Amino acid sequence: MKTEKIIELKEVWKIYKMEEVDFPALQGMSLDVNKGEFLAVVGPSGSGKSTALNAIGALDVPTKGVIYLDGKDISKLSESELAQIRGKKIGFVFQSFHLVPSLSAIENVILPMIFQGYSRDERTKRAKALLNSVGLGDKLENLPGQLSGGQRQRVAIARALANDPEVILADEPTGNLDSKTGEEILKLLKSLNKNENKTLIVVTHDDKIAKEADRIAYLADGKVVDVKNRS
Amino acid sequence: MINDYFLLAFKSIRHRQLRSWLTIIGIVIGVAAIVALISLSLGLQASIEEQFEAFGADRLLIAAQGFQGPGTQSEGITDNDVAVLERMSEFKTISYGSARPGEVEFKKEVKFPSVFGGENAKELLESTTDLADGRYIEKGDNTDVLIGSRVANGLFDNEIRIRNNIRISGKEFRVVGILKPVGNQQDDNTLYLTLDAYREIFGETNQVDFISAQVKPGVDVLSLQEKVKREFERQRGDKNIEVVTPTQILEQIGNILGIVQIVLVGIAAISLIVGGIGITNSMYTTVLERTREIGIMKSIGATNFDVLSIFLIESGIMGLVGGFFGVVLGTLISLGIGKFSTEAGFKLLVGVNPGLMLFGLFFAFLVGMISGALPARQAAKLKPVDALRHE
Repeated sequence: MKTEKIIELKEVWKIYKMEEVDFPALQGMSLDVNKGEFLAVVGPSGSGKSTALNAIGALDVPTKGVIYLDGKDISKLSESELAQIRGKKIGFVFQSFHLVPSLSAIENVILPMIFQGYSRDERTKRAKALLNSVGLGDKLENLPGQLSGGQRQRVAIARALANDPEVILADEPTGNLDSKTGEEILKLLKSLNKNENKTLIVVTHDDKIAKEADRIAYLADGKVVDVKNRS
Repeated sequence: MINDYFLLAFKSIRHRQLRSWLTIIGIVIGVAAIVALISLSLGLQASIEEQFEAFGADRLLIAAQGFQGPGTQSEGITDNDVAVLERMSEFKTISYGSARPGEVEFKKEVKFPSVFGGENAKELLESTTDLADGRYIEKGDNTDVLIGSRVANGLFDNEIRIRNNIRISGKEFRVVGILKPVGNQQDDNTLYLTLDAYREIFGETNQVDFISAQVKPGVDVLSLQEKVKREFERQRGDKNIEVVTPTQILEQIGNILGIVQIVLVGIAAISLIVGGIGITNSMYTTVLERTREIGIMKSIGATNFDVLSIFLIESGIMGLVGGFFGVVLGTLISLGIGKFSTEAGFKLLVGVNPGLMLFGLFFAFLVGMISGALPARQAAKLKPVDALRHE
């Protein structure tokens, strides 16, 4: 099978300017991600996992180096171009869910579609379908505060899928969940990867998650030190 | 898209209800103050205009000019000046007279209301009010008195009725007529005598405080005004007499009211500015509190412009809601004061003014938007990673 690269990081540096010293979070990191694959990114804290994920997800721009997303260099785009990429190509799933507390489950899922200008009918229909598919068809109007951790993460996953992105980026998606709920969330993410061919990148501490991935990238000191295919 | 922003902003305001309301109250007070003050001064203007309209524009008002400064001799008006007017053919009726506070005694109770002595006073009085009872005074009725509504009822412990006797400066007079309320305290608290009776009790000979001369139909008031001025100057040899039309007085009052209005609205505007700062403060706090939420919105595709719009609309809505309640409150306050004032004897024509209400609403929305501009800009400029990391 011919593998097509969807993400390429070439010699990416990210240096945070602190008051006195500069802190290099990424130090010439290079990494390729194939379309449709499930990649786990592991490494000790401070190794640059989240920084790398943010750079891939157009949440942050690298200090140096190039990042290609779907063949397009996103390392030097303006803030509004980055917002477009985040809205259309990327779906984020965060450790602490990051739902908007004042909006109901369905409104949270609708929100990304508002920014992309979907019509009211279209986005309501889509949000309902997405919440149904993650098993929350009966919780549409609940506020995040009225949902359990696992349910909130399901809403977040539904929201990540709202604009039908090619890539799903998950930063410790099970970190705030008990192991049973965590497994369910992982299963859900994996099914998106397998059934809908979404490229899935998961940053994790959890070996159990890493073992499920197609490939594992090991990070240390802001660099990829090893990449292993699933045995 | 924009309605979605409104919806988002509205949800967020509702989510932190208490603080939103507290912020909105600041705007309510400012707008209420502005609406009430403008509405009251418009009411005052309307009342004054109404009184002048009843009075009629077809007349000349003549009074002695005030003190002219050291070295000048200010001569008041006398019967000679009235005679100058009487010799002219352009006037229909010439009313004139004098007024001063007088000692008035009724059933052993002594008060000091205004006493007016005049010729042809009936013509003046008829233009502003009617008789409640009795009749007007005619020339020669030197022991009769006509009284204002508050003199009859309110000034003394006992109500004065027709045919009651009262003493003015020690001389006894018989009440022959009572007037209906005019709507201002001054006039309603006045007693009306003939000029002869007035001169007798106050020991005056030929002074006159003012003349109100009604012009015959078809005569141009402004050119007559010039003619009368020239005639007085020729006869008297000075310019110490002032000849004006009611319209000119109304304009002067209008100018003064305009200044008063500006000052009042200026004061009210200060409270609106304070309200606006309240919104700014609240919005800054909101931006801080919702930094992470802003990060979330950006991470799912919101542009800086989206975030800016949502926050601006949010502060605009707070302004608008404040404006709505402010307009309602301000209108109620001004209607209440108008009613109270009219009952207390000072007529204020306060009405509901749709233009003013719309202005209040729009202005409040504008203040909200302006107040929210800086916080909204700060929110929009937040970097998504930093915002997401914010605890």
